[in-house]
Amino acid sequence: MVPSKKEALSENGRAGLLPALKDRAGREGSLNRESMSGLAGQYHLPLNEVYGVSTFYAFLPVLPTGKNIIRVCRCLPCHLKDAQAVIGSIKKELGIAPGETSRDGKFSFELVSCIGACDQAPAMMINDKLYGDLTPAGIAEILKSY
Amino acid sequence: MAEKRIVLSKCGSIDPQDIGTYIAKGGFSAFIKARDKMKPQAIIAEVKKSGLTGRGGAGFNTGLKWELARNAKAKAKYLLCNADEGEVGTFKDKYILSNDPFGLIEGMCIAGLAIGAQQAFIYLRNEYHFLYDPLVRAVGQVREKGYLKHMDIQVFEGAGAYICGEESALMNSIEGMRGESRYKPPYPPTRGLWGLPTIINNVETLMNVPHIINNGAAWFSAIGTGRSKGTKVFSVSGDVSRPGVYELEMGSTLRELVVGLAGADDLKAVQIGGATGNILPASMLNTPLSHETYLGSGAVVALNSGRDIIDVVQNDMHFLNDESCGKCTPCREGTEVMLEIFGRLARGEGHEGDINSLDALARTMAVSSLCGLGQAAAVPVLDSLRYFYNDYIDRINQSHFLRSYLSGELFKSEEGIR
Amino acid sequence: MGNVNVNIDGRKIRVREGSTILEAATANGITIPTLCHIKGQVPSGVCRVCVVEVEGSKTMMGACHTPVAEGMVIHSKSPKVIAVRKVIVELLLTAHTGDCVNDSNAENCALHNLASDYEVGAPHFNVRNPRFYPAEESNPYVKRDMSKCILCRKCVKVCGEVVRKDVLSIGYRGFKSKVVSGFDEALTAEACRDCLKCIEHCPTGALSAPARV
Ligand SMILES: Cc1cc2nc3c(=O)[nH]c(=O)nc-3n(C[C@H](O)[C@H](O)[C@H](O)COP(=O)(O)O)c2cc1C
Ligand code: SF4
Ligand code: SF4
Ligand code: FES
Ligand code: FES
Repeated sequence: MVPSKKEALSENGRAGLLPALKDRAGREGSLNRESMSGLAGQYHLPLNEVYGVSTFYAFLPVLPTGKNIIRVCRCLPCHLKDAQAVIGSIKKELGIAPGETSRDGKFSFELVSCIGACDQAPAMMINDKLYGDLTPAGIAEILKSY
Repeated sequence: MAEKRIVLSKCGSIDPQDIGTYIAKGGFSAFIKARDKMKPQAIIAEVKKSGLTGRGGAGFNTGLKWELARNAKAKAKYLLCNADEGEVGTFKDKYILSNDPFGLIEGMCIAGLAIGAQQAFIYLRNEYHFLYDPLVRAVGQVREKGYLKHMDIQVFEGAGAYICGEESALMNSIEGMRGESRYKPPYPPTRGLWGLPTIINNVETLMNVPHIINNGAAWFSAIGTGRSKGTKVFSVSGDVSRPGVYELEMGSTLRELVVGLAGADDLKAVQIGGATGNILPASMLNTPLSHETYLGSGAVVALNSGRDIIDVVQNDMHFLNDESCGKCTPCREGTEVMLEIFGRLARGEGHEGDINSLDALARTMAVSSLCGLGQAAAVPVLDSLRYFYNDYIDRINQSHFLRSYLSGELFKSEEGIR
Repeated sequence: MGNVNVNIDGRKIRVREGSTILEAATANGITIPTLCHIKGQVPSGVCRVCVVEVEGSKTMMGACHTPVAEGMVIHSKSPKVIAVRKVIVELLLTAHTGDCVNDSNAENCALHNLASDYEVGAPHFNVRNPRFYPAEESNPYVKRDMSKCILCRKCVKVCGEVVRKDVLSIGYRGFKSKVVSGFDEALTAEACRDCLKCIEHCPTGALSAPARV
């Protein structure tokens, strides 16, 4: 995983940066100052550069997240199928609004762009698992399994 | 009219995890033919003659693009498969990757021979992470069969950014940078990934290649319309009873797709091509779907008569504002200002000047934005103003009425008065 | 490389192949406004105020980064171009908060000057949350008032490509983009030396020398 200095400074030395950031974020939930500084060192980049890359991508959180991340689609096909009601149901179940993490640290809740499941709208992902054809009433059951 | 399945012909009839089932259906015969019997120039000539065009949105002639990269002199060349599929309402590439990964890989193998690439990447959006392992395994099976001696294929996963579907942003992303678009020229076939000649094609574009090699350019170009050859795979969602993926001959009408196949009734409008797509009234259902008319990525969202067009465009704009890379002024600032206007219109706080502002902003963004996102962000705004102007006027008149009768309290919530 | 013939605003011009439209225009006394371009550096192409019409092209082209081609017919001051530039300047003014009106340095602000050249008054657009950041005075050499930043990226470019200190980058995405140092923290005296190049290039009052040095 760790590139040699020569590799890191080569023309395409940064190629591994995104996978490395994803790997870190995947294992630690989010990217903190320490992990970013570490990667900055490995890739011979200033911290601000690594920070700039991380904050660009939606799946590289820089703030602590819950153990599980709920991502509800808010785009048109889901919106037409009343994603709003599903969002309301999650708010009620967890007592948090989009952008927040539940007190027990179990869930973070986000609204995201189309996840490519519009034929099963409304849809959401919890971590990497897709849930489609959601109903407000079905939310509690799904959340219970985590 | 029925579907015409070419790209999707093997979906459902093979085991996507077993290359044997793909080969049993004639898979890799095109690659073997291209490798053993055709020179790279001949492959390119065939693809060029077939009239195959890009299915990712822009509709550029695929063979012509390949030729530019083939002719470029460089120490290395790259092939990229764009599987970022972030356009709202599009899920056809997911369907293809789930059901027939070998078809894509065979197309890539042939493209690699044609342009002379030694390294290829499949840029897979993070949201399709569940496809990562199956794809890597499929590539592994192809490698074991010895079909990847000329080029290696690596699956590269994105990290959640719609703009990374734009070709130059995608390259920046692979290079470990922020996924921002680059100005053009230079174009990727001459200077792309790491400054080297690069061909980037959509999943569906590459899926067509083995069929063209097997059946010939004449067979392919007999299907479709003047400038749009072959078929198109559509993703249909919204107010339809049978949402899903449908493959039709180019030039089929909107009505055949949305009403005939997907089962819409009581339509008010459709949006074609995602959040940056055209919004057409139901009176235009007889429009054929092709590059000459409307196509984009093939996403079609049906809107029934109960739908509010301003709400639709507001939702589109919300997406575009979230996903703008922020590099250039017109798109970064323009989507934000437009979203503010749509928010006010929806809350019943709009005024006549808003229509002029939207029009001026849209026209500015369309011509001055750095990349296709900002340029096309104007499309739903201009179309809705064109075909549903009265909806805007009614909304603004209602706003005047409501404002003079009710206190502002009712409208303070983010969601508006819906 | 040879020369090519182009036409800018009705004038026939012969320029070196590979020049940009901006270079061709400037060499012939035609001014095209710029906010993000640094002469001699690789173009950024981000501000878009340099756009011009090129016949045969559906969209306008950035003059600072588009190379000339034989036979190109360019309009740098057509009514369409002016209208587009006006909207862009108005957009930049919209989210640009701060007390420029009372600022005695306002005449040094390239945005302010461009706005008066193009007769753009107070913007009539709104944004939901204007970019507002507290001014940062912790660094002895550079005062950063990011509310006035128009994200032209000149500071990032000079710091990285000219001075080679690389203490600034663009962070976040879209409207929320921001010039960041470190882990999005105040510019420290250890990171930033007193070359003051970024202040020199900043087109607005976002970067300035602290009042008392
Ligand atoms: C904002 C934006 C997003 C795009 N997203 C995609 C995408 O998800 N998939 C895709 O194939 N092309 C996408 N494109 C088009 C690509 O830039 C490029 O034209 C395409 O991948 C070329 O392949 P093709 O010639 O096979 O269509 C996008 C373009 C823009 C401007
Ligand atoms: S148009 Fe939008 S997405 Fe494209 S470069 Fe400009 S800011 Fe980025
Ligand atoms: S601080 Fe100044 S130079 Fe830097 S991006 Fe902002 S406006 Fe441009
Ligand atoms: S719009 Fe929700 S998954 Fe596509
Ligand atoms: S000067 Fe050309 S885009 Fe800024």
